[in-house]
Amino acid sequence: MAVLDILLSGQLLFAALVTGSLYALIALGLNLVYGTMRMLNVAHGDVVMLGAYGAYWGFTLMDIPPLLAAPVVAGLGGLLGWALYRGIFQRLLSGGDGTSAARLESNSLLLFFGLSIILQNATALVFTPNNRAYNYLGTVYHLGGVAMTGNRLAALLVAGTACIAVALFLSRSVFGLATRAVIERREAAHIVGVDVDHVQRLSFILGFGSAALAGVLISMLGQFSPFSGFPFTIAGFIVIILGGLGNAMAGLLAALLLGVIETYGVALTSANMRSVLLYGAFVAALLLFPNGLFARRATTR
Amino acid sequence: MKDLCPNLWWALLWGCSLLTLAVLPFVANDYIVGIGLTLLMWLALTQSWCLLSKMTGYVSLGHVVFYGIGAYLVVVTWQEIALPLAILGAGLLAALVAALVGLPVLRVRGPYFVILTFGLAELVKYTITWIESALGMASRILFGAPDLPVIYFSMFALALVSVAMLTWVGSSRFGHGLRSLRENEEAAETLGVPVARYKLIAFVLGAAIPGMVGAVMALRSTYFVVGQVFDPMISVTVIAMAILGGGDNARGPLLGVIFLSLLSEMLWVNAPLLYLVILGAILMVFVLVVPNGLLGLFERKRAPAGARPPADTAA
Amino acid sequence: MKLTKTNRRTAVGGIAATILALASGGVMAQADKPLRIGFSMARTGMLANATPSQLNTYELWREQTNAKGGMNVGGTKRKVEFVTYDDQSKPDQAVRIYEKLITDDKVDLLLAPWGTPFHLAIAPVLEKFKFPMVGNTAASVALRKVKPGYIWFPTSAIPDRIGLELATMLKGQNVKSVAVLSNVLPFTKEIKNFLEPELKKAGIEVKVSAEYPPDIADMTSTLTQVKQANVDAVLALAYPGDSVLYAKQAKELGLNNPFQFIAIGPSDAFFAKAVGPASAEGVLTIAHWSPKAEWKGSQAFYDAYVKKFGEDPDYLNSALAWMSLEILETTVAKTGLDKAKMREMISTQTFDTINGKVKFDGVQNVITPTAFVQTQKGKLQIVWPASMATSKYEAKKGW
Repeated sequence: MAVLDILLSGQLLFAALVTGSLYALIALGLNLVYGTMRMLNVAHGDVVMLGAYGAYWGFTLMDIPPLLAAPVVAGLGGLLGWALYRGIFQRLLSGGDGTSAARLESNSLLLFFGLSIILQNATALVFTPNNRAYNYLGTVYHLGGVAMTGNRLAALLVAGTACIAVALFLSRSVFGLATRAVIERREAAHIVGVDVDHVQRLSFILGFGSAALAGVLISMLGQFSPFSGFPFTIAGFIVIILGGLGNAMAGLLAALLLGVIETYGVALTSANMRSVLLYGAFVAALLLFPNGLFARRATTR
Repeated sequence: MKDLCPNLWWALLWGCSLLTLAVLPFVANDYIVGIGLTLLMWLALTQSWCLLSKMTGYVSLGHVVFYGIGAYLVVVTWQEIALPLAILGAGLLAALVAALVGLPVLRVRGPYFVILTFGLAELVKYTITWIESALGMASRILFGAPDLPVIYFSMFALALVSVAMLTWVGSSRFGHGLRSLRENEEAAETLGVPVARYKLIAFVLGAAIPGMVGAVMALRSTYFVVGQVFDPMISVTVIAMAILGGGDNARGPLLGVIFLSLLSEMLWVNAPLLYLVILGAILMVFVLVVPNGLLGLFERKRAPAGARPPADTAA
Repeated sequence: MKLTKTNRRTAVGGIAATILALASGGVMAQADKPLRIGFSMARTGMLANATPSQLNTYELWREQTNAKGGMNVGGTKRKVEFVTYDDQSKPDQAVRIYEKLITDDKVDLLLAPWGTPFHLAIAPVLEKFKFPMVGNTAASVALRKVKPGYIWFPTSAIPDRIGLELATMLKGQNVKSVAVLSNVLPFTKEIKNFLEPELKKAGIEVKVSAEYPPDIADMTSTLTQVKQANVDAVLALAYPGDSVLYAKQAKELGLNNPFQFIAIGPSDAFFAKAVGPASAEGVLTIAHWSPKAEWKGSQAFYDAYVKKFGEDPDYLNSALAWMSLEILETTVAKTGLDKAKMREMISTQTFDTINGKVKFDGVQNVITPTAFVQTQKGKLQIVWPASMATSKYEAKKGW
């Protein structure tokens, strides 16, 4: 394919948007948790995986269409987030006196990693490690020369809507304002009367809920197993680092950028180069912009 | 000054561990020797990781990259150059790579650094995958690798060097400089600590050992597939052992390595499917309840009531 | 460098063994002691979703054998007990496990793990302890370099032969141009290495030759290229993980080339469930087994597997696993547990299995031909070679 053909291809654009929108949804949840709590949720991808299983069982056992099950599964994900926050993280954060930020970070890495192992292997124990997949909205639609499988189109629309909804929430609502305040400067937000605990709790719920939603969408598109969460965690991290930690909007942009690099980069070189391109772009970007591509001022804590 | 008692305990612990490990191949079956080898490997890897990450506070999630580079060198030069030369070369190559990327990489801080190192490891992994693919290779088999005892004692030597290095650095002026920049990099710089240079040295020193460890382990498994060798889990396990151990000297990692190795051996053998779930739970419990690691527990017990807390638990 | 145990160690071991034996209900007659068979299997990690087809087969065999009173060991029947560990999808873990099985658990017999890398990794261990094991789910030209004598591979799905046979079949179907996509993992990459020269020799044009990493999540870019090339056949050298992705995206982009080959995946019941029967129909894949009347026990195996697990066995992996068990059974019945005699017999004898006759020359099976199967009306049929075929090849009619 000639270079110009590739760049103008509607088919590739569609693919880039599908991938990018899913990354965006995942990154959003990750950013919320990190932004308000300064903790890298290494288990984020595993919550995505759980969401996928939720949709899978809903569809194969009870014939519930995934798109209908989506809000329920997302809600369950949010519930998990809430439970984890109440049970573990609330205590960890309030007791964080004199703990240097670095220590909390590396410790939280381990904490979430422990959670990740538990989620992956408990799921494997209960559901067996077999690959799962199902066929839903498999008809292919043609619009302007672009072929779109129903489920991929649905994923794009749902993920896109969810991202826009959260973005609007963050920028328009009072609560969204409070969340952004906590993300930017926690102590200051506390001083001006923001209920930091409330914001953190909601961030956890939203973060886990959006991950579960992403999982539902992803389950429609391909196979998954208890161990397929990790690549999504990685992708999520790359996106939020590129966008600048805690910067939800920039994360959305970075996600689309990543989708574009993946799709067009592969088309211009070869599929084998996919990860080289991805990680190469990531490393290069970070070396040039140590605080992310869209960093404003450095967020200190 | 700490009283003599805890130092005696430590000397005993070190002595016993070293002695047991040294005589293992002569008294135990291959399976047990294998466990010893694994323990030594983790010891060498974790000690070298602490050199950078515990001392400077720059938490690297990409330690496996040096391990993998060392392994790849051995595999690629298999039966072309003498093995001892290849292993030394592996260490040198890893150190060289660290020297080349160190300066720009170490400008990045905090969680950005964590994910950057991870990204770096993955980048190298996929680049080598692409190279192998372009060479028409998918995996490599090493026929005629040395026997287990040779591999075992090579690893033993590496572990000793690693421990010695960390101990020496810990009590040197260089080490103090590293600790100072961990607490506050800007302040340290204004006080005259050559921050950038020190960080780079720590990075390079911490890279040589894993390079050689990777080289030796390539001989152990004799079957090389890029994805398996550059396994991110190795980086994560190293971090887990270091943090569970606690502290920033050579003692913490020893505790962490022994604890986690033995634990996973016990669990893995008896409860294979449940083992990882339990491991995850233990990790979480540890972080929440024992934040200073095993070393913190140990030091707290040994210090008499009212004594000031140990000076080096700030990591 | 050989290291001997000290006498004290042997005495301690002996005492411990005696205590254990006493504790487990008195000194038992040889015939009552269960036969311990060890193996490792990936239950966690990247390959965990591929191993059930093999593990299930092992379990089925154990159940059936014990129902008959046990495995025939040189004339005496002994109940079978498995000693198994999770290798976490890591070949070096498998090495440690087999070392443990042999030196620590001291099992009587060994079965193979899943996958080529694992077979290759443990071959030196088997060689070192002179412990014979019949392999199954492994296929690589590197197998031929493995020192013969302690491991054998009954499969005929070896990459160089696959390359040759596939090219021959394509030529026979009048295919003039192909697109080759390959996962870079060892097995599929090896196939590609051999396939492309053979295609050239057969005068078939390779219009697209692409490779992709195992963790690929979107193939749109590559497949758009393939669609534009308008070839007669698309050869997707995929692993189970990406086979479903390929099928779904081929459907989306409308890759309606009449000849569709997917290396690994469609031989497992999972594939049709994941992509839907319409998409699975007509896909060609690698396997050399099918329940055939002249292959004794093949239908019985199929029926028993379906009855126990509620789905079809994997036509490649499950069949191979069963074959390796049959070979082991036949051998041990005659030779008992004498390792040297076992090795002698496996290396020279011709065996009857559910896949017909099997004989080893060195490490390889020289009787079973390299074959391909195709899903027709939801069932897998052998369509190549003609000598073994259960049905004729039919062009695929879209996804």
